[in-house]
Amino acid sequence: MVVCAILLLLLSCTFPSWGAEIEAFPDLNLNDPASLKEGSRVLEEELKLASRPNTYLVIDLVTQSVHIKARGVDLHHIPIMRAFVEFTSLLTGTFRVTARPAVVRRKIDPTSSVEQEPISLADMPTYYELSCSPDLTLAVLPTAKDHPLQWIWTSSHRVWRHLKQWGRAWLPTDSHSPRPLLELTLSAEHAQSLAWSLVDGMPVVIRRVTDK
Amino acid sequence: MNGFARPTLLVSLAAAVAIGGWYLFLQPDTDMASNASTKSLSSVGSASDGTALRGLQARYKTLSKHLSQFMPQQSYILVDTARNHLYVKRRQDVLLDAIASTGSGIILDKPGDGGAQWIFDTPRGEFVVQSKLTNPVWVKPDWAFIEEGLIVPKNPADRVEQGVLGEYALGFGKGYFIHGTLYTRLLGKNVTHGCIRLNDGDLKNVYQLARVGTPIMIF
Repeated sequence: MVVCAILLLLLSCTFPSWGAEIEAFPDLNLNDPASLKEGSRVLEEELKLASRPNTYLVIDLVTQSVHIKARGVDLHHIPIMRAFVEFTSLLTGTFRVTARPAVVRRKIDPTSSVEQEPISLADMPTYYELSCSPDLTLAVLPTAKDHPLQWIWTSSHRVWRHLKQWGRAWLPTDSHSPRPLLELTLSAEHAQSLAWSLVDGMPVVIRRVTDK
Repeated sequence: MNGFARPTLLVSLAAAVAIGGWYLFLQPDTDMASNASTKSLSSVGSASDGTALRGLQARYKTLSKHLSQFMPQQSYILVDTARNHLYVKRRQDVLLDAIASTGSGIILDKPGDGGAQWIFDTPRGEFVVQSKLTNPVWVKPDWAFIEEGLIVPKNPADRVEQGVLGEYALGFGKGYFIHGTLYTRLLGKNVTHGCIRLNDGDLKNVYQLARVGTPIMIF
């Protein structure tokens, strides 16, 4: 019995568990308290999600990437080209995507011999806006190269929001609760990939940038 | 428009373009901290306290370790439905990378069921291998007849079709399987009614690598 216990102890030292090798945020500065607090906050949220059999998103604004995850495993990640945030302090907790982007699905007609084309990544939208609960608008925007007109339109909106933000410093406080906004500029291919992977009610956790 | 209004309008337009151009082209693209409307988080006030820092470090590492404990400790199957790939992985290692076919996303009306539909998606989320079969037979569900314009047979024996699912099948619940296919030229495309199809060689490898209880993560 004692021999078995010693053998088990030696084995556990020889083969460290996966848990000891994987660090959640390899880029995190362990000497920066703000980064540690933010990293821990995100992990606390992610632990609740990883305990369930669902996929979820971690939007990492530090490394500028969107991670599709399940059980803490990174299934797929998407690079963010540019991110714009309003009301960063409200981006805590877990949000849930109310509905994935709408896609037109083909319908089988049993009376017709014509086969319907299956849905594919190319059917996914390249720019879209998602409502989340609690209040969060998550917008995926195109690049200037992919959709120049749409890019001009969304960029004008961003300039207008900047102007409103400056105006808030001089005008009386708006009585309405602020609605946080997160805009992600993705390439067309990555925007479609994200749209494909979204499901109704998908949880989203956001890791925010901290001051150095 | 009178002679005074036109120059005013032109000046206003020029100013708007200048402001927009300053913002769009002179602001760095990837500098998150310089975003004027981003209120970055401030560091802890007096971070010189080594004890507090060590406490934060310990907390972070503990949480990181807890998260790792949810990860599969042995092999698991990962299915990418967008790119139609199936992987068998163990930790970070890829043991198998196979081209697959997953759900088409097409819909079919259920006759006489008040607007109900079948939606031929491969389900997303985490599942487990519930069964492992050899030489499986296909017991055709109602939709397999309805989509062809055929009458659904009353005799269960008339639903059975052999030799179309390959030599192996792994079930993961609600009638969904990883199985073989006669239509190998369609691998890599979203053409199935929700199941995951592989070619014979990859299917055999998956069958050998997976056990009942092996996690299947589908996104």
